[in-house]
Amino acid sequence: MNEIIALAAKDLRMLLRDKAGFFFAFVFPVVYASFFGMIMSGMGGGGSSGIYVVVVDEDQTEGSAAFVRQLSDLDALNVITTGRDEAQDLVRRGKRAAMLVLPTGFGKARAEIFGNPPEVGLGIDPARAAETGMLQGILMGELFGDLQRVFTDPTAMAGQLDSTIDEVRNAEDIDPLTKTTLLTFLPALKTFMTKMPDLQNDDSNDGGEGTNNAAGFMQPKIEKIDILPQRDGPQSAYEITLAQGAVWGIMGCAAGFGISLVVERTRGTLVRLRMAPISLWQVLAGKGVACFFTTMTVGIGLFVFAAIVFGVRPHSYAMLAIALVCVSFAFVGIMMMLAVMGKTEQAAGGIGWAILVVLAMIGGGMMPLAFMPAWMQDVAVISPIKWSILAMEGAMWRAFSPTEMLTPCLVLIGIGIGCFGMGAKVFKATV
Amino acid sequence: MLVIDSIRKQFGDLVAVDSVSLSIAAGEIFGLLGPNGAGKTTTVNMCVGLLRPDRGSIAIGDTGDPTNKDVRRLVGVAPQSLAIYDEMSGRENVTFFGKMQGLRGSELKERVAWALEFVGLADRQQDKASEYSGGMKRRLNLAIAVVHKPKLLLLDEPTVGVDPQSRNAIFEHILALREMDTTIIYTTHYMEEAQRLCDRVGIMDRGNLLAIDSVDGLIETHGGASRVIATRPDGEAVEMQTDDPLAELQRLQSNGGLQTFHVERANLETVFLNLTGRALRDE
Repeated sequence: MNEIIALAAKDLRMLLRDKAGFFFAFVFPVVYASFFGMIMSGMGGGGSSGIYVVVVDEDQTEGSAAFVRQLSDLDALNVITTGRDEAQDLVRRGKRAAMLVLPTGFGKARAEIFGNPPEVGLGIDPARAAETGMLQGILMGELFGDLQRVFTDPTAMAGQLDSTIDEVRNAEDIDPLTKTTLLTFLPALKTFMTKMPDLQNDDSNDGGEGTNNAAGFMQPKIEKIDILPQRDGPQSAYEITLAQGAVWGIMGCAAGFGISLVVERTRGTLVRLRMAPISLWQVLAGKGVACFFTTMTVGIGLFVFAAIVFGVRPHSYAMLAIALVCVSFAFVGIMMMLAVMGKTEQAAGGIGWAILVVLAMIGGGMMPLAFMPAWMQDVAVISPIKWSILAMEGAMWRAFSPTEMLTPCLVLIGIGIGCFGMGAKVFKATV
Repeated sequence: MLVIDSIRKQFGDLVAVDSVSLSIAAGEIFGLLGPNGAGKTTTVNMCVGLLRPDRGSIAIGDTGDPTNKDVRRLVGVAPQSLAIYDEMSGRENVTFFGKMQGLRGSELKERVAWALEFVGLADRQQDKASEYSGGMKRRLNLAIAVVHKPKLLLLDEPTVGVDPQSRNAIFEHILALREMDTTIIYTTHYMEEAQRLCDRVGIMDRGNLLAIDSVDGLIETHGGASRVIATRPDGEAVEMQTDDPLAELQRLQSNGGLQTFHVERANLETVFLNLTGRALRDE
C-alpha cells in the first residue's frame, strides 16, 4: 500500500508542476462552467436581461407613461425612453433591438373600450428578427391586457360608459335613431356592470375554476404543473452548466493521466518501476489512485467555487458526494483505456481526446441532451458523459431519490470496472 | 552471485537469446560486449525478472528466480534509457525510487543522501532533473540504481551520450562499487570500456554468447597475432604479423637497425572480428 501511495503522490506532484495539465484539470472547468453559466443566465450582456427596447413617448400623457412603466416592469424587456431621432439611431447602430413609438392620443385610445384602438409604431433591427417577433407578442399581450382590465374592472368600465354616454349625448353627427338607441343601451349596460361586484361575490354563479369575474369573461387559467416534485428546477443557469464543466475537467484529468502512463512507458520509468520489487498492478493502482484523487478534487473544487461565487446549492450534498465518487471511478477506468490507445503520447493524446470529444458530443457534454434529436438521446446511453451529468444533476437539482440515483451510479461503476479491467489487461500484454 | 543456465528467449521468429550460460562471482565486474541487437539487453531483462526465459533458468544469490519480488530487492538497474522524472528534482527522483525499493524513514534519508553524494550530485540535488546535463542525468540514473544498496548491479550502456569527463566519473563510481563488493554486469558496445573496467568479458552476437574470459585471455585466445610496423634507417617500411613482437623487433634491430617502430596489439575489436567475421561497430 505504501508503494501505491508513493506512486500516487509522485503523479500528483508532477501534475501540479505541469502548468498546462494543471490548467486543463483545475482552471478550465471553472472557466467553462462560469462562461456558459453567464451566457445561459443572461449575465454576459453586462446588465439586466431581456430584449433591449427604446420607447419614444410622443403622447406624454399619464396613460402613455403608465404603459411605459408597465413595459419596464416586464422581465422580458429592457426599456429605456428617448426621443425619436436618438431612438432611430440606437436601433440603426444595433444598440437596441427595436424602437416603440407611442403616438399622440395613445393614452386616451388605450383607456377607451369603444372608439379607435390604440396604435403603436414599431421600428426593428432587421438583424434581430427573432427578438422582434417575441417583442410583438409581448406588446399584443400588454395591449389586450389593458382591454381585459377595463372589462374585468366594473369601476373602470362604469367610468368608461359615463364618458361614452356624454360623448354620444353631445354628438351632432349621429342620426337621432342611433343616438336614442345608444342612450338606451349604454345606461342599461352601465346598470348591469354596477351589479357586477354582487355577482362576482356570488359563489353560486361561479361555474368553477376559470370563472372569476361577474362580467362573465372567462379568463383562461393556466395552472403550472411542477415536473420536479421537491425543488423548482435549477435555481440558476450555473447549476446546469456546472455538471458539464465538471465533466470536462474530469475528462481532462483522465486524458492527462492516460497520457502520463504512456509517457512512463516511452521514457523508461515504467521499466524501472517494473524492475522494482512491486507488481504491475501496484503501478496501475498508484496511477488510478492519483487519477481518482484528482478528479474528485476537480469536482469538489468546482462545486465549492460555484457555491461561493454563484451561490449554487446542491439539492443533496450526500448525493453529490456519491455522484462524484461514481463519476471519478468511471473515469479512472476510462483513463486506463486511453492509456492503451496509442504507443506514443501524441497518438494516445490524439486518439483519447477524439474519443472523449465524441462521447461528450453524444452524451450532452457540449449541448444539453434536451436540445438534441430523439435518436441522439437514445444513442447517448452509451456515453459515460451522459451518466456522469445525469448523476451530478440528480444530486444538484433533479432531486433524485436514492433509488433514482442508483441507475446512473451503477452504470458509472460498471463502466469504471469494465474499462479498467480491459485497459489493464491490454496494458500488461503490451509492456 | 548470478548463475545463468542455458537461457533462451524468442520474440516471434527472432531468437533474441539462445542457450546462454554463465556464472558471475560476487564482487566481479562482468562485461557483456556486443553490437546493438546482440541480445545484451534481453539477457539483462531476464536477469532482473522483466522477462521470463522460454527455456533455462536464472538464479541470483541464494534466493533464486528474479521474477520473485524478494530476489529483485537484491538487484539494482541503470537502464540504457534515462529512466528519470524530469519534472522532479534529483533528490525527489532518488527518494521516490528508494520508496519503490521498500526503503522508509531514516534509512531512506540516509541512503538517498549517500547515493547523491556517491555520484557527486549532492550540491545539485534540489534542482529539477530537466536542468541537468546529459552526464548528470546518467549519474542520477546510477544513483537511483544504487540507492537500496543492491548486491547485483546491472548497468545497461551507462555511458551512452556522455562527455569524456562524466564518463570518467562514472568509471570511478563503478570501480568504487566493486570495492564495496557489489557484483556488476556491464553491457556496452565500447570495447575500451570493457577493457578498462571488466574482470571478465562475454562476447555476444545474434543472441549467442561466443566467448567468456578475461580481456587478456580473450585476446590471447581469439585476438590473433600482433602487428609490427617499423622504418629502416634508409626509409624502408617494414610491416609484419607476429605472436612475439619483442623478439621480432630485436631481430630487426640486429639486422640493419630501426629508425621508428610501433606495435599494434590485438584488442577486443579484433577478438570480435575474429569471432564473428565482422567489426563490432558495423551495424
